[in-house]
Amino acid sequence: MAAVADVEAGAQAPAPATRPAGRRRSFPVWRWVILLLAGAYFLIPLYAALRFAGLKAFPDIFRQAGFTDAISLSLRLAVVTTILTLVLMVPTTVYVHLRLPQVRRSMEGITILPIVIPPIVLIIGVLKVAPGFLLSTPYLLALVYVILAMPFAYRSLDAGLRAVDLKTLVEASNSLGAGWPATLWRVVLPNIRTALLSATVLTVALVLGEFTMASLALYVTFPVWIVQFEQNSGPVSVAASLLALFVTWLLLMLIVTVGGRGARKRGGAQVALFTVAPRETGQTTGEPE
Amino acid sequence: MTTNAGMTASTGAAAKAGGGAVRAAAGGAGAPVALHDLSRSFGAVRALDGLSLDIAPGELVALLGPSGCGKTTALRIVAGFEYADSGTVSVDGREVSRVPAAKRDMGMVFQSYSLFPNMTALDNVGFGLRMRKLRAADRNRRAGELLDLVGLTDQARKYPHQMSGGQQQRVALARALAIEPRVLLLDEPLSALDAKVRLQLREQIRSLQQRLGITTLFVTHDQEEALSMADRVGVMKDGRLEQVAVPSQLYAEPATAFVAEFVGTMNRVPGHRQGQDEVAALGTVVPVHGSTAPGLSGDVDVMVRPESLRIAVQPGGNGIVTDRTFLGSVTRVSVLLSGGVTVKVDHLTTEADAMPLGTSVQVSLPGEPVLVTERR
Repeated sequence: MAAVADVEAGAQAPAPATRPAGRRRSFPVWRWVILLLAGAYFLIPLYAALRFAGLKAFPDIFRQAGFTDAISLSLRLAVVTTILTLVLMVPTTVYVHLRLPQVRRSMEGITILPIVIPPIVLIIGVLKVAPGFLLSTPYLLALVYVILAMPFAYRSLDAGLRAVDLKTLVEASNSLGAGWPATLWRVVLPNIRTALLSATVLTVALVLGEFTMASLALYVTFPVWIVQFEQNSGPVSVAASLLALFVTWLLLMLIVTVGGRGARKRGGAQVALFTVAPRETGQTTGEPE
Repeated sequence: MTTNAGMTASTGAAAKAGGGAVRAAAGGAGAPVALHDLSRSFGAVRALDGLSLDIAPGELVALLGPSGCGKTTALRIVAGFEYADSGTVSVDGREVSRVPAAKRDMGMVFQSYSLFPNMTALDNVGFGLRMRKLRAADRNRRAGELLDLVGLTDQARKYPHQMSGGQQQRVALARALAIEPRVLLLDEPLSALDAKVRLQLREQIRSLQQRLGITTLFVTHDQEEALSMADRVGVMKDGRLEQVAVPSQLYAEPATAFVAEFVGTMNRVPGHRQGQDEVAALGTVVPVHGSTAPGLSGDVDVMVRPESLRIAVQPGGNGIVTDRTFLGSVTRVSVLLSGGVTVKVDHLTTEADAMPLGTSVQVSLPGEPVLVTERR
């Protein structure tokens, strides 16, 4: 066996780096210019907002009437929407990949509809036809947000599933005696963890930022509260907006950190929010060496 | 050879040390498998067309054939990943045609690396045992024994991406064996590996299969792999079995022209049938192999292997040397015959050296019976 180990260990040895060190360090001036311009475009408005609000406005946010209720409602809606989205979309996407690959293009078209249809049209339609018991609960919004989140969740999961050899993994799991629940829980989900995190954070970000539907349905979510409160205190309202932005940014960092740690452990090279899956040219059979 | 011998000896020692539990359960426990009249279509494509095959307990049968011949479909139906449109699969006398894959107790090694990327080698091997509700301590002990069996004890804590392709396939083999399968299914498990590792793993798989006595169905398009590993080889074409036989018989007595040409190298030489039992070709009359020429008469092709043809330097002979390929102790000499047909002849390298390109040679048939088929 030692012989096999030797041969394979030899095959595993990485190729020496051939790129000159100087080239790796070079960073042309024009790139710095573009970077600075882009940075200025994004950062100057934030700085202006921070100057306008002032640091003292931030502690005041938490003392304002309605803040706790609004943020609590938004967070509850975010949790419920995320759970519903994942429960619906994960099995659907896995099923489409495994059993109905021919409908994937149709799915891409269908799932993009919520972006094409204006939110105001969606919510007015929903308010017209929703049964009374749903109209009386803010969780009606969660049901609508699931539809709004569908384009982002589907694309994240689709990219994640395309990056693994799903069919072989599922069949290997089945042949070892695992039924569908065990296969999904122990094999599929751990291997699309980054995609799950992407779908989660995009859904959460969408719910925390959605204004039109909540406003028309007369529920005071965090964005609605910010707009309403702006009429009382501009600086605190702007501080609240910055806080929302900071929380969303923290979530993104959390994904990159947690997803990156998992991917590195399993050999993934990179973690990105929007994974561009490889074009399907057959099963992955390439040697790692 | 030293390398291979070392590997086998090491594997054997490992098996003695740690494979007891596995052997106790799986050794000699191979179940007979019977495929009866299996048919399967995908749209207009008929992937399987009445396939029947009996595999004896502990036997390794290879299904060999070109792409699209239905061999993988047959394996997937046995595994339970596909269902046949008609026909049955029986294991140990019990029909399992409609039993889900998860309940068939069949170990499978896939062509592509199928290890779960989120699990270590030990966890991969223990996965099937976990599904069978074994306690963690027992599970890890058994998984460790299996890794020992394939010589990868030191890789137990590594993730798939940290292992080479050959190591991954050995872990996949250990994982398939860990559940003490009644049948082992191998779906071109070596095709993604480089030549040297493939040769070593081929011997290891065969060695383990024989030691554990597991009934094994092995699908491959590599005839060398099939002929060197299998007890019997089934050659498939268009969803049907053309012939099932032990490797030597398949090579020496192919049942059809397809088998003759698919297995090994075969020459076609123009000939003329003379009566029921003889054929004239290359200026000689030789007996016809009984089973390959029923009802053929007139112009035919005589099929003869390169090592069966005779060649000698002869001015004004029936052919001219056009190419030579060094194969070690023999050299394969290509000869353009006077009729415009090129044949390949294996000749001792020491004598072939005297036949440079352009040499006039005389090619002749052997005295023994030859295969005859329709003129192409």
